Amino acid sequence: MTLFDFARGPGMFWATTIMVIGIVWRLAGAVLLARHKDRSTPRGDNRVAAGLRAVLMRSVPPHELEKHITFQHLTGYAWHIGWFVTFLFFVPHMPFIESILGFGWPGLPNQAIVMLAAITLAILLLLLVRRIVHPVLKVISDFDDYVSTLLACAPLVTGIVAFAHLFPSHHETMIGLHILSVEALMVWLPFGKIFHCVTGLPLRFQIGAAFARRGVKA
Amino acid sequence: MRDVLVGDYLRGRGVSRRSLLKFCAAAASWMALPPTMAQEIAAAIEKARRPSVIWLPFQECTGCTESITRAETATLESLIFDAISLDYQHTLQAAAGDAAEEARHQAMKENWGKYLLAVDGSIPLANPGYSTIAGVSNLDMLLEAAKGAAAIIAIGTCAAFGGIPAARPNPTGAVAVSDLIKDKPIINVSGCPPIPVVITGVLAQYLTFGSIPDLDRLGRPRAFYGQSIHDRCYRRPFYERGQFAESFDDEGARKGWCLFKLGCKGPITYNSCATIKWNGGTSFPIEAGHGCIGCAEPNFWDKGGFYEALSVSRWGTFGTVAAAAAVGAAAGVASAALARHRQAKAPEGESR
Amino acid sequence: MSGLAGIPIKIEQASGKLASGNVEPLLHEIGHALEQLIEVGKASIIDLRGVPLAPGEEDRILEFLGTGEVRAEFEASGLSTVNESRFPGVWVVTHHDATGDVMSRLIEITLVPEILCSQVEELRDSHERFALGVRFMGEPTADGIRSG
Repeated sequence: MTLFDFARGPGMFWATTIMVIGIVWRLAGAVLLARHKDRSTPRGDNRVAAGLRAVLMRSVPPHELEKHITFQHLTGYAWHIGWFVTFLFFVPHMPFIESILGFGWPGLPNQAIVMLAAITLAILLLLLVRRIVHPVLKVISDFDDYVSTLLACAPLVTGIVAFAHLFPSHHETMIGLHILSVEALMVWLPFGKIFHCVTGLPLRFQIGAAFARRGVKA
Repeated sequence: MRDVLVGDYLRGRGVSRRSLLKFCAAAASWMALPPTMAQEIAAAIEKARRPSVIWLPFQECTGCTESITRAETATLESLIFDAISLDYQHTLQAAAGDAAEEARHQAMKENWGKYLLAVDGSIPLANPGYSTIAGVSNLDMLLEAAKGAAAIIAIGTCAAFGGIPAARPNPTGAVAVSDLIKDKPIINVSGCPPIPVVITGVLAQYLTFGSIPDLDRLGRPRAFYGQSIHDRCYRRPFYERGQFAESFDDEGARKGWCLFKLGCKGPITYNSCATIKWNGGTSFPIEAGHGCIGCAEPNFWDKGGFYEALSVSRWGTFGTVAAAAAVGAAAGVASAALARHRQAKAPEGESR
Repeated sequence: MSGLAGIPIKIEQASGKLASGNVEPLLHEIGHALEQLIEVGKASIIDLRGVPLAPGEEDRILEFLGTGEVRAEFEASGLSTVNESRFPGVWVVTHHDATGDVMSRLIEITLVPEILCSQVEELRDSHERFALGVRFMGEPTADGIRSG
């Protein structure tokens, strides 16, 4: 079995299985945790609206902190958008998406996607360097941060290398490595900070709703 | 007869030099050499000695022999069969039975150490009786013939990589020539079948340069297998522009757009179909509207479906995902139960 | 070939941007080679089959080159045609095999393609046969028919 056959076969099967087990485990484990019953009188009852508001408001930097975190915030959005557009709108990915969802959508021209992927990768690498060099970030960054960053970069690197045919007589292996890099990301996803993709928005909602009960704007 | 120079032999057969030049012009094209080299190739072939070639057909469908000979018509490629001395070839030779085997042993003895051994078909190891010639198993015949060969040409994907007989679950234990012979140079000319001119081109290359050509990591001549179908496909601009046929006979298909989504294995297949093409340069599968099935690559039969795009992976089914979710849920419930148990046991006032 | 002619197949010709993109570069290469022939006397050969072309593009190139004053053909294991295009110095050489399939198509930028010339390697044999033929001209042969 070649690397490519493994990646497309047992690799993807087990990565998907582990990812699903991990996501459901963590979600179920968190949701089922005991909570102290809040016996205080609620001071507000618009919890759903407050929750939604929190999702929106916490998606932009608070005015007071703008000066310090706007760069991080903008570059963060930029590479997230670039990453997802590359994944979802690159036409050769479409059969993979269709095999899961049963339907697809029109893609973007390959050259546009490759440029976007390259820009996304550049931003990610810039942020990685910043994390290593910045006096505060380097103290608070841990194994999880670095692994998650590298796993976000790996599909972009392997994808660009495969697309550009940098190793012409090993194209099959390059595609195999690309698929494997995505599988590594899938396996890590439930267990590290990348899990924020599942918990992020619901968590903001919960904070907004909880604070609204206490009459506080989140 | 076999010490005659190819040039003299061809002239004796009434084959004019212009015929040879025509062949060499085409051969230069196949070998991706500059067309100006045709004269040099012709000169080299003329001065070469006619090599003895022994062709052993093993567990095969005879498609490779058919591809190369197209027995009902004589074409210029058959010229190369005048240039070599084909001393044993089941489908083409007149002799049969004991006489044929005797001829083979004679040719091997007379040319020991110098003959080219051409093999098509895989070799079954599970039970030698699955494929025999004159009562001798393919395995024994190969091992015996390989001993005196100068080089071995494994013709077709079966001989080169195991081919269709080796497809899962490989009931006959089919293996490739290179799995059994380790001490002789082997040229893998893969394809199911190989393009006829690739087979003759490899022989022409051997005659021209007198040596084994430059081989890729799978033992195939780089001149013919150095580039992928994808890299030479005329539909590549459509791939780059993101214009794909979604189904056979849709608008994209009729406009000749890229067949990636219909399972084309062009990006991972190395062969000359996109340049040399088939049937005298008429067309090739992609040009005819069907994606490449990757027949020159090992295990092409087991690489997912022919109509499954390269980017499709076996993530499982909704059933297996549901089962995984159930396992996760069970683990989640167990973790939560454990956590609650610990919380309940923790002294009053301590944390959450 | 019986029922095949009845199958309605429509071949959409590659046109404009929906093509290989190789037609113009190829024509430029021919133009450049013609310049080289004039300035330095260097002949060139371009293998038309060595370039990926979409269906219909080879015909477009040949249509552009057209035919000129010289049309030659020879029979050697199949028909070969050697035609000067409407641009002197640019020749189109097509080799067919015995079944009529096109084996190769070359654009030669030269004064005259070498394959039209008699082959030097065959001259000695030609001379021997000529001398023999002259020597025995007029003599009755075994079947009573005079040679020569």
